Amino acid sequence: MLLIRAIVRPEKTGDVLAELMSAGFPAVTKSDVFGRGKQKGMIAGSIQYDEIPKEMLMIVVNDEDKDDVVKIIIRVARTGEKGNFGDGRIFVSPVADAYTISTGKQGL
Amino acid sequence: MKEVMAFIRVNKVNVTKKALAEAGFPSFTCRRVLGRGKKMVDASVFQAVLDHGELPVSHVGEAITEVQRLIPKRFFTIVVEDDCVQKAVETIIRVNQTGNAGDGKIFIFDIYETYQVRTGESTL
Repeated sequence: MLLIRAIVRPEKTGDVLAELMSAGFPAVTKSDVFGRGKQKGMIAGSIQYDEIPKEMLMIVVNDEDKDDVVKIIIRVARTGEKGNFGDGRIFVSPVADAYTISTGKQGL
Repeated sequence: MKEVMAFIRVNKVNVTKKALAEAGFPSFTCRRVLGRGKKMVDASVFQAVLDHGELPVSHVGEAITEVQRLIPKRFFTIVVEDDCVQKAVETIIRVNQTGNAGDGKIFIFDIYETYQVRTGESTL
């Protein structure tokens, strides 16, 4: 199992969630986050904004579904043809174990 | 060390805090998150609506309104030693289990290093 953490533009989360749902990945957790990237935030004149609001999506998938989910997020969350700075970032990390509370069973 | 990530119901935070403290895990981090689970729209629900002209008053009606909507949840993170993981998971499941869909999920991750900011020591 792998945990996919995608940090995307807040205005794109609705599209990403709908696309994931139709691709068969309904289970998602979303939370508001603030951060800056490699471009050191946004610089407008002499003001630097380095706490830019984003939304973080957390999805746990089986190893073989990882590429599908990552591709969907990249396709939908990108702005314009080539994309722009600030479109976000995706991190993938291994999950050692998972449990469902309602049944107490191990696994996704 | 292992990180235990638990997504639980909003109204279970206090009992979870209490149970974890009694089990010897007083430290935790909690966040407000929104989420949705595996529950999908059942095609038979639409058929029932078409046949009877109204939504059945039951969990079926709930399922049709809940799907694709993000539900507020609480997201607990606790970091424990390897041999305590089972105890922590059992504690969380014991107090959070109602047997219904939506009780939540628990995920376990490996943690390679931790540091205490106050002292700079690499201990849990």
